[in-house]
Formats: sequence, structure tokens, C-alpha cells
Amino acid sequence: MSTNCNDLQKLNSVLDSFIVHKTIPALGTMLGEIITHSIKKTQEMSITNLDLIISDLEEMNVMSAVYIKCDGDLHMGALLYLPENESKTLVSKLLGKTISNELEEITPSSISEIGNILTASIINAISDDTGYKICSSVPGYAVEFFRTLLEAVVSDFGNESGELIVSHVEFHGLKSGIVIRMLLIQNPSEVKLMV
Amino acid sequence: MKHVIEIKMGCLEIITNETEELKTFVGSCVAICLFDLVSHVAGMAHVMLPRKSDGKQSAIKNDIGKYADEALSYMICDMIQKGADPKRIQAKMAGGATIFAHESETGLFNVGPRNVISLKQILKENNIPLVSEDTGENFGRWVRFDLNSGTMIITSNLKKFEKII
Repeated sequence: MSTNCNDLQKLNSVLDSFIVHKTIPALGTMLGEIITHSIKKTQEMSITNLDLIISDLEEMNVMSAVYIKCDGDLHMGALLYLPENESKTLVSKLLGKTISNELEEITPSSISEIGNILTASIINAISDDTGYKICSSVPGYAVEFFRTLLEAVVSDFGNESGELIVSHVEFHGLKSGIVIRMLLIQNPSEVKLMV
Repeated sequence: MKHVIEIKMGCLEIITNETEELKTFVGSCVAICLFDLVSHVAGMAHVMLPRKSDGKQSAIKNDIGKYADEALSYMICDMIQKGADPKRIQAKMAGGATIFAHESETGLFNVGPRNVISLKQILKENNIPLVSEDTGENFGRWVRFDLNSGTMIITSNLKKFEKII
């Protein structure tokens, strides 16, 4: 492990600040309710230990997920996910009406848009704070178990060192009870750029 | 009861004991198995990426399965050292899915298919026949390989199937 605890704590605080100032207002506006959040942990881990961040809940539920990769002065992968059966609730909130069967096909694009906006809010906050130029990809959408999503994201991120910095964020809709999870991954070699 | 050896992401293992079974989970990564059933030598690698960009060999064995080129080169050499006959080595593989998709940008999240193409090319270069495969699509797979029978058993939790190749 190449990142010391102090830097991980600083990174956690920096991300938390960006999320509070940009991401929470963006999500709150989209869903029309008060949003709370928590960063469960920011940790460095080997790609051989991914089992450590797969919970029982995530093993048992099929997830709707969006993956966006960010390149430029800083590299980051953002995976937004929630249980598939809750994704319709989220889309209903976004559209302000119940989703009928005919409208089910818009779920992927709606979830993708939410992932896009949340990721962009973090990237904008980083850019505003540091001046780094960062571009984000189009959102990739998937419906799968978390293990598959995580494996694909880590593979696509393609970090040569075999170590990743992983931050786990949870967003809670106070009124609706919706829980949206976001995984942010970075290269350990780039932590210093953020802290 | 078989002793199951789980191959972690980017890793590989070679076995010579028929009571052992190799197992891994792949989404866009590929589980590639090489085997010589006469000499009872088999290996499985969890390949994450098509090619190693810098050409340098990995210093640690831990992630020697990460790149298709490096993984196959290491597996072939190690299997021959353990008694495999290069003329008898065969291959099976599974995985290489496209998990994430965007309706218009079809070429963006395609590391899975690129892994499969790269592995097939390297197998061809080494005259190793690919006898069966279960690749592509958009779901993750648990993959087990039994050295005794040479069978690869593939299961998908999402699609709820088990197939033997």
C-alpha cells in the first residue's frame, strides 16, 4: 500500500466537501427532497481483494447501475447503483409521475442522466477547486449483480499498479427513503493531486 | 470433494493435481484455461486487459494473469516446466462480456470483446487450439475448470443457467 492514512483521511474530507457543496444540491433539486449522505470509507485496496467491499445485500440484489469514467489531469471512475426494483421509484421521482409499463424503457436513460449529473457535479467541484481539466465519458448503463459491475469497472479503469483508492458514498432521500450508492475509484498515484 | 482454488482478479494458477479445481468470476475479464489432460497439467488466468503496454514483465507473480499476452506466455512456459507437451495443450475460455452499454457509443465500454480478440490471436500465434468458449453477451459468469475431465462449468446468477463446455 502506497497511500498513508493521513492522505486517505484528507481525500475523504475533500470528497465530502465537494459532495456537500455540489452533489447534494444537484440531487436534492432533481428529486425534490432533502438528501443526506455519508462517505462510508475511503481506502486503498488491491484488486485481488474486491470481495472485501461486496456486501451480502449487494450479492443478493440485481442492481441498476451507471458507470462514467473521467480522464484528463485526473483519472476517476464513478459507479452509481441502486437495487433494480428501486430504480423505477427513482425515475418516478425524477419525472414526477408513476412509471407505466410503456415508460419502463426510459429507465436506463433516466438513471444514466442521474449518474451523469452527479458525476459532473463532483468533477466540476474538483475543477473549480484545483483548476484541473477533466472530461467525463458518456454514461454506460447495466443491470447486474454488484460483483459483475465492480469487476467490469475495475477492469475498464485499467490501473497498472493493481491497487485502487475506493470511496463508497451513500445518498439518502429523507422523504422517499431512496438509497443511491456511488463508488468512486482513483489511482493511488493521483491521491496527492487531490489532497 | 475437490479442493477449489479461486483465482483472483489479474492472477493465475497452474495445477497438476486432479483433486484440485480452478474457479474464478469474470464479467468483462476473461477466464482462460490451458490444459494438457495427458500430463495432467492445467492453468487458469483471470485476464483483465488485452496487452501490457510497457512490455516489461510483472515483477510480482500476483498479477501475472492481468494482461492477455503476459498471462499466456507465463502459463505456457510454466505448464511445459511442469510436464505439459506443447503439442497437446488446448484452451477453453469464458467471459469477455460487455457489461456497460451506451445506446450510441458502442465502442466505449468494449474491453471485454477486446480481451477475447487478443487472447484468440495469441492462441493462434502459439498454435494452441481453442476447443470451446462461452464469451461475449452482457452478464457475469462464475467459471470452474476440472482438470480430471477437462470440462469448464459456467454459471450465471443473473441469467440463472449452468452450462458445460
